[in-house]
Amino acid sequence: MTLHIDDVSLVLGDGDQKITALDHVSLRVDAGQLVAVVGPSGSGKSSLLACVGGLRRPTSGHIRLDGTDLAALGPEQLTTLRRDRIGFVFQQSNLVPSLTAVDQLLLTVHLRGRRPGAADREKARGLLRDVGMDHRENRRPAELSGGERQRVGIARALMSDPALMLVDEPTSMLDHTRGRQVIELLARECHQRRVATVMVTHDPAMLESVDRVVSIVDGRLSETPGAGHAAH
Amino acid sequence: MFIAVRDLVHAKGRFLLMGFVIALVAYLMTFLSGLSTGLISNNVSGLMALPVSHFVFMADDRPTFRSSLVDRSMWEGWAGQPGVRRSTPIGHTTFNGRGSANEPLEFVLWGLTPGSYLDPPVAEGRPLGATENGVVISRLLAQRGVKIGDTITLDRVLTELEVIGITSDERNYEHAPIVYAPLAKWQEATYGPPGGAPPGEKLPAVVYEYCSAIALDLDPGLTPAQIAAVDEELGTTTLTMAQSFATSPAYEVEVFTVAAIQAFLVVTSAVLVGAFFLIWTIQRTSEIGLVKALGASNGYLLRDSLGQALLLMVAGIAVGIALALATGLAIQAFAAAGFPFQSDPASAAMSGGLLMLAGLVGGAVSIRLITSVDPIIALGRDR
Repeated sequence: MTLHIDDVSLVLGDGDQKITALDHVSLRVDAGQLVAVVGPSGSGKSSLLACVGGLRRPTSGHIRLDGTDLAALGPEQLTTLRRDRIGFVFQQSNLVPSLTAVDQLLLTVHLRGRRPGAADREKARGLLRDVGMDHRENRRPAELSGGERQRVGIARALMSDPALMLVDEPTSMLDHTRGRQVIELLARECHQRRVATVMVTHDPAMLESVDRVVSIVDGRLSETPGAGHAAH
Repeated sequence: MFIAVRDLVHAKGRFLLMGFVIALVAYLMTFLSGLSTGLISNNVSGLMALPVSHFVFMADDRPTFRSSLVDRSMWEGWAGQPGVRRSTPIGHTTFNGRGSANEPLEFVLWGLTPGSYLDPPVAEGRPLGATENGVVISRLLAQRGVKIGDTITLDRVLTELEVIGITSDERNYEHAPIVYAPLAKWQEATYGPPGGAPPGEKLPAVVYEYCSAIALDLDPGLTPAQIAAVDEELGTTTLTMAQSFATSPAYEVEVFTVAAIQAFLVVTSAVLVGAFFLIWTIQRTSEIGLVKALGASNGYLLRDSLGQALLLMVAGIAVGIALALATGLAIQAFAAAGFPFQSDPASAAMSGGLLMLAGLVGGAVSIRLITSVDPIIALGRDR
């Protein structure tokens, strides 16, 4: 289970408005590895997630997930890839307002065209237990705090046993303590379940538990020595 | 419909409100079709009840029972035509009269040959032709207080008619009850002098040579061309039963008015449901983007969304129609005799179907909106 980002560039707009969002980015993330991409606002972090998640096609370069080249897939195949192989954790968790915590997880089963059975329910409850949310499984997003929503979002991302987890600014709405707890949880799940994980954040603090930190500035990626515990 | 059903529960206030609006429209639609059926029946039930396929009038672009004058050569000519199974002359005059208590009555006097195939079914009393001046009255007139044995005196001509029977069903033309008299009595009242023949004398024979129209029961195999040929030969105009409804001046206006209201209702509800789901979909844009990012296909989301619209429409329409039919029953049980309303489940079902279609057309407006949502909005706005 490996993600290969190979010399990917993304140019947005055209003419004088051209913006190079990603500039020859290469990155490799192995199964069970949590990589943090740190950069200021507008540095190209979200563009990187969008390309890796199949939401946007790079202008050049290749992204391979377990040998599958995303560039070779059509729009519907990309949708299926997202559904089956990629777990997203969005900013502010981004849950469906009308669904309870456990239904957020069961939705992913539905999207695959199955009615959730007893085994799926058991699995969903197990995941909510793992992220410490089993006592809130019948609450809707409006009844959950920011940290709780983020935990449900992580459990949802793991529900389909993804090969790759993409995490967008998980701590943007959280205070320092809760933010640290969420990242620790992400690291634990990533390691335990052997999921390749890319997390983008503008916040270079609270990154003690990630395996590797790379910086992105103006679409260019660079290793940040001394950060993350791979460097320890 | 995993999300759709949970949305219905989660946003129940909004959906209840919309469902209530749909129910009200369905209620109005159903009530209007009851009114339409009732109005038509109140207007021309006297024609609808007859086993007649065509009416023959004198040659006219727009013939009416009121203005038509048909002579013996015409009705005998028609009776002898091939394909004419049954035929009988009818007389038609609108009269004002007075009842036994000198109360004013307005009705249509029909002259029929006793024993013809149009003999009105009598629920009470004796049949038409039992006495020379005996008339059978429509049940509606009986409900207004006219009894068997009463005398009806026609204004102006002063002919006295004795009520001998009451029909088993309601028989109206132009919203007025029909009084059936023997054809000869009708001819004397219509063409004879006021007060009838002088004592000891007979009216001239020419009085008995005319009537208003001919009621035909034609072989269905007869082509319009064949009918037109006979019309040409005898100097008549033949209308089908359905066409002859329009001889009542109010009929077309009434039918058109109710149909126009219903058409506007259907269009209105399409726009209403369309607007509701459009706003609902716009509100859900970020949610739709999110679910797409999670790997939902357009097909999945469309099924979900249209299923939701369908569910809402079915529930709203069912409630509306049920309430309207209940109201109809209440009206028929308690309203005054002659109130033009007839509960009509068949046309209620049709209005429901039309509304459903309108709702789905409205709901379909959001299809483009749903398919055009870019799942990238699920990510932060930061590039």
